[in-house]
Amino acid sequence: MSFVVRRRVTSTVTYVLLGLFSIYCLFPVAWMVSTAIKPASQVRTDHPSFFTGHPTLINFLTVLEHTQYLMYARNSLIVSAFTTLLSLTISVFAAYAIVRLSQAPGVRQLGSLLLVSQATPPVLLVIPIFFIMSDLNLLNTYFGLIITYTALGVPVCTWFLRSYLSNIPEDIEEAARIDGCSRVSLVFRVILPISLPSVVATGVYAFVLAWGSFTFGYTLVSSNAMRLVTPALSLFTGLWTVEWGLLMAAAVLNVIPVAILYIVVQKYIVGGLVAGAIK
Amino acid sequence: MGIGPQSLTRNPSVPRRSKVWTFIREYYVAYVFSGPAILFLVGLLFVPMVYVFYLSFRQVNLLLPAAHGFVGWQNYLYVLQSEPFWLYVRHDVVWTLGSVLGEYAVGMTTAVLLDQKIVGRAFFRGIIIVPWLVPIAVASVVWTWILDPSYGILDYLLKQIGLMPTAVDWLGTPSLAMLSIIFINIWRSFPLYTLMLLASLQAVPKDEIDAALIDGATAFQRFWMVKFPYLKIASIVLVGLNVMWVFNNFSFIWLLTTGGPITATTTPAIEIYQEAFQSFNFGDAAALAVLMILLLFVTFAIVRALFAVWQKVRAPRPIA
Repeated sequence: MSFVVRRRVTSTVTYVLLGLFSIYCLFPVAWMVSTAIKPASQVRTDHPSFFTGHPTLINFLTVLEHTQYLMYARNSLIVSAFTTLLSLTISVFAAYAIVRLSQAPGVRQLGSLLLVSQATPPVLLVIPIFFIMSDLNLLNTYFGLIITYTALGVPVCTWFLRSYLSNIPEDIEEAARIDGCSRVSLVFRVILPISLPSVVATGVYAFVLAWGSFTFGYTLVSSNAMRLVTPALSLFTGLWTVEWGLLMAAAVLNVIPVAILYIVVQKYIVGGLVAGAIK
Repeated sequence: MGIGPQSLTRNPSVPRRSKVWTFIREYYVAYVFSGPAILFLVGLLFVPMVYVFYLSFRQVNLLLPAAHGFVGWQNYLYVLQSEPFWLYVRHDVVWTLGSVLGEYAVGMTTAVLLDQKIVGRAFFRGIIIVPWLVPIAVASVVWTWILDPSYGILDYLLKQIGLMPTAVDWLGTPSLAMLSIIFINIWRSFPLYTLMLLASLQAVPKDEIDAALIDGATAFQRFWMVKFPYLKIASIVLVGLNVMWVFNNFSFIWLLTTGGPITATTTPAIEIYQEAFQSFNFGDAAALAVLMILLLFVTFAIVRALFAVWQKVRAPRPIA
């Protein structure tokens, strides 16, 4: 077989396989959207089809108007936003310390500790954290959820930021330091402006993590008024096992905000994640 | 420190304090900067870890607050004897091995495909990340709908193609439930493998690949002898972290099957939740959690030992 023919065969096989994997990846998402925009009569049918002649937003309107979805979403928004702010603030300084001030005894080890803590599975923490929050009267509060999610977010964010910050040449800081700039204002005036895209990307990651996480929102909240949107979705499942159109509409509403955010900063997140893991 | 002629002179504490003072002045910024992170790490990760250990030796039942107290090994004995603990561990091993091997295989295949110079690579990479963006709660409801035995699309398609005569209840049949949740978990988790393996593949020096090409290495040889060594670190990190995560995963199994049908997909992680939040036996749940940590430690120690032996056996051979 000549080189050219072999090359053509290889590339055809590659495209066929990539096409199949793409279907594998996209099918569930496409089916979710397709179900969400179908009228009820076309959802539960013996001959389901991907396409509908009568696309409708009725499922979305029902979810928004007749359930407390918006309240759950607001709770999630508050918790995720504050988690993001808090994790970012803590992580920027911690990452800076690990990258630039690691001569201080123990600071370098903090970096490895953060990495190790990443491996701690939530379910092992759920019981003690439940007790601690219960003792501190923080069950069913925004504050309790925010500090819990921040504790989970800080290691990842520091890990990402560490790899971004280590790419900033030290000379840039020298000039500012000679001018008598303190370390704190150095971080705010020099480091943050330079690494803004990576900091934003890390923030988005923290937000997506908090928005999508299930275990703690499920166990630390028992009151309906404080419920977060991701655990709420699992309650809808029990409620509407037959109303698949509504369920899929709620699922789409849940995934859309984070997906958009994510796609915008995808490049940075993927880079940071990969660098963090390989370095 | 402080013993010696200087400490008796009338110029006291200067050498000592100045030493401490220098240390503080030198390093306080580092500790102020990393302080909050340390606080969170200790307060919400390490303290709970110790606390769960403490709870595991106590009777803590929210329904029987009067009975609270130290009970020694009783929780452990109860967990190990009166519950099918080892059956759940077996489920967990199947779930973990199936998921991680499957994720690694799919991740590696897609990474190798995307490592080629083809038109639309960024496009395909974008598509492959999609499952990973979907929150697990969303992934669970969507897959439950796809696999629905009455109106689900998968059963319908399989019947249309003629692969299956009748509908199958994928998540509701004990013998199929584990297989189904492993399949769904692979779908949700493999993109991370793809991204990391792809990044490592792209870091393989070009001249090494060219040299192998000139030497007439087949595609498989090029992959196995030239590229794979560069994937070792990423592979170890990926597999190690994921074994930990998947073995202790609670949310995905809970959302898809709540450990059922009956106990077909119950793992210790599910049992921890049920003991704690359904039976309110927090002491037993804590004992289960400690047992899981121990199991993981033992597993990793064994794997590390095997790995060390393997490296020793391999070492004398020349790198060729």
